[in-house]
Amino acid sequence: MKVMVCLKQVPHQDARLEIRDDSTWIKEDNIKFEINSYDTYALEEALRIKDANEAEVVVVSVGPDRLTQALRTALGMGADRAVHVNDPAAEGSDSLGIAKILAAVAKEESPDLVITGLMADDDNYSAVPPMLSQLIGMPSATGVLKAEAQDGGYRVERELEGGALEVVDLPQPCLIAVQSGLNQVRYASLKGIMQAKKKPIDVKTAADLGLEGQVGASAQKVKVEKVYVPPKGDTAEMVEGSSEEIASTLVAKIKELGLL
Amino acid sequence: MGSILIVTEIQNGAIREASFELASVARALSEANGKPVKSLVVGSGVGDLASDFASKGGGDTLVVDDALAANYSVDVQSAAIQAAVAAADADVVLVSNTPTGWDVAPRIAAALDAAFVSDCFKIEAEGDSLQFYRRIFNGKINAHLSSSAPKIVATMQPGAVAAFEGPSEGGTEALAVDLSGVGAKFVEVKAAEATGIDLTKADVIVSGGRGVGAPEKFPEVIQPLADALGGAMGASRPVVDAGWLPHPYQVGSSGQVVSPKLYVACGISGAIQHLVGMKSSNFIIAINKDPDAPIFEVADIGVVADLFEVVPALTAAVLAAKG
Ligand SMILES: Cc1cc2nc3c(=O)[nH]c(=O)nc-3n(C[C@H](O)[C@H](O)[C@H](O)COP(=O)(O)OP(=O)(O)OC[C@H]3O[C@@H](n4cnc5c(N)ncnc54)[C@H](O)[C@@H]3O)c2cc1C
Ligand SMILES: Nc1ncnc2c1ncn2[C@@H]1O[C@H](COP(=O)(O)O)[C@@H](O)[C@H]1O
Repeated sequence: MKVMVCLKQVPHQDARLEIRDDSTWIKEDNIKFEINSYDTYALEEALRIKDANEAEVVVVSVGPDRLTQALRTALGMGADRAVHVNDPAAEGSDSLGIAKILAAVAKEESPDLVITGLMADDDNYSAVPPMLSQLIGMPSATGVLKAEAQDGGYRVERELEGGALEVVDLPQPCLIAVQSGLNQVRYASLKGIMQAKKKPIDVKTAADLGLEGQVGASAQKVKVEKVYVPPKGDTAEMVEGSSEEIASTLVAKIKELGLL
Repeated sequence: MGSILIVTEIQNGAIREASFELASVARALSEANGKPVKSLVVGSGVGDLASDFASKGGGDTLVVDDALAANYSVDVQSAAIQAAVAAADADVVLVSNTPTGWDVAPRIAAALDAAFVSDCFKIEAEGDSLQFYRRIFNGKINAHLSSSAPKIVATMQPGAVAAFEGPSEGGTEALAVDLSGVGAKFVEVKAAEATGIDLTKADVIVSGGRGVGAPEKFPEVIQPLADALGGAMGASRPVVDAGWLPHPYQVGSSGQVVSPKLYVACGISGAIQHLVGMKSSNFIIAINKDPDAPIFEVADIGVVADLFEVVPALTAAVLAAKG
């Protein structure tokens, strides 16, 4: 059994985001990065399969040098090896470009199961996993909150709105994009981190994957015109002062609402 | 010349409001670029729904009516949409960003080698291109994107634009698609479990988010304010994911949708999935230490401060006011 986990490194959830001078993305120089929150659940799910039945867990990520840190963390948590597609020629890929790269890796790896996150916390696209499944011809399910092995595949529960769940059977090999909360994610142990230093990270370029010219900024079908701070609405009245002053202003308001 | 294809969605035996919102977008694009609006309805026994939609914004509507399409399956939906794109000669495909839409739309984009943009709150036509506006970083930043690719698939955020209300000309046409040999098989839908906690009945809800930082802070800091105000406690999703509070406390698109007289958001950033669950509250107070948090966009009163200072002070002031 081989499980491939697609993992993206994104700015830390508490990083102060500033827009780059050319307005096409945020400044990345002075902020911390972390594994995309949804992908930590994806990795945990893969590690649970490994704990239960001797699976090999391969983490795959596309991005620049800084990714090494995220991949080491994943290896420290228990993944067996990593594939890092690191290529300036792949920079500026849109979702379909990333999916094409991951598909080329999946074709080399032939996993029995691919696990991804539902959404990246930076671009909020929720695009790559279904694209990848289409490109490699695997059945898929997104927003998965439960996955149970059964004869010949998996029975999964997809989250719908308002707490309803859709139960779907997927034959193996298949792809599942997991929703946050489907498990409790482990931390890398000290022993795990030591062992991780010896685990292999295989670095590849787009050309190694036969994708020269097919990915990266030149192959973009969607162009970023501009990223910008959302215009402030005219709504909120901002209250300032000491905690006591703020509290008495709020109490006056709550009284006005007839709730006190 | 191509067309703009609306992929409708059926929920509880009716076409969803979100599909009528797509009709608004499609009609506006059509006015700008002259491409006709066409629609697709997929399901079992959906002929009447399709004719109705055709006359209420959908225009000429393709219908895949098949017992195999009675329930959503990504492969059935995907086969039907691909057939409809060919039959309608569509070069723009519009889908709603719902659990169904985000499951299938990117697959269509990959199958067509098309441009893909998800969860837009605005789409406009400009010459030969489309301009897209969407949120990134969970609402902290917006992005404006464009594409003039020959095929474009885009999803719209439900509720972002008003539903189309006028009449439209259009008939229905059956589309035969081979739906056998699918990979993913629908088993059943499990309804949300009924629990004792019904936040929708509370007049006051005090919710805590990831900013509350630790499970014990909920009984220590959030619950006392809720109690003082005679209200209920709520939470954002990460709080529930971490196991700090059980799911019935979750407010948002995948939790409860509430509209109390007063909603107090403490340490919640204001991601769209949380906002849709509480933004219709009568009065919203937001307490967050980040002045740029998107929660302030929907708040009536905003406080930029550490919740651990302001919330206990507010609890004390409320108790004092009650005497
Ligand atoms: C399909 C789908 C469904 C979802 N459904 C839901 C849903 O139903 N409900 C939901 O809530 N989310 C939902 N989400 C998740 C959503 O996208 C956000 O991740 C989530 O709402 C963020 O929660 P948060 O605001 O508590 O955390 P964060 O975004 O991490 O925000 C924490 C905030 O706390 C502030 N803070 C930190 N410390 C303090 C302090 N001491 N004092 C004051 N402020 C402080 C920070 O400035 C920050 O703004 C869903 C996502 C998806 C993809
Ligand atoms: N650069 C990347 N490298 C590896 N996996 C990725 C990358 N981008 C996206 N993914 C995977 O696709 C999921 C959804 O990302 P997105 O479509 O960007 O919202 C993520 O949770 C990852 O599992």
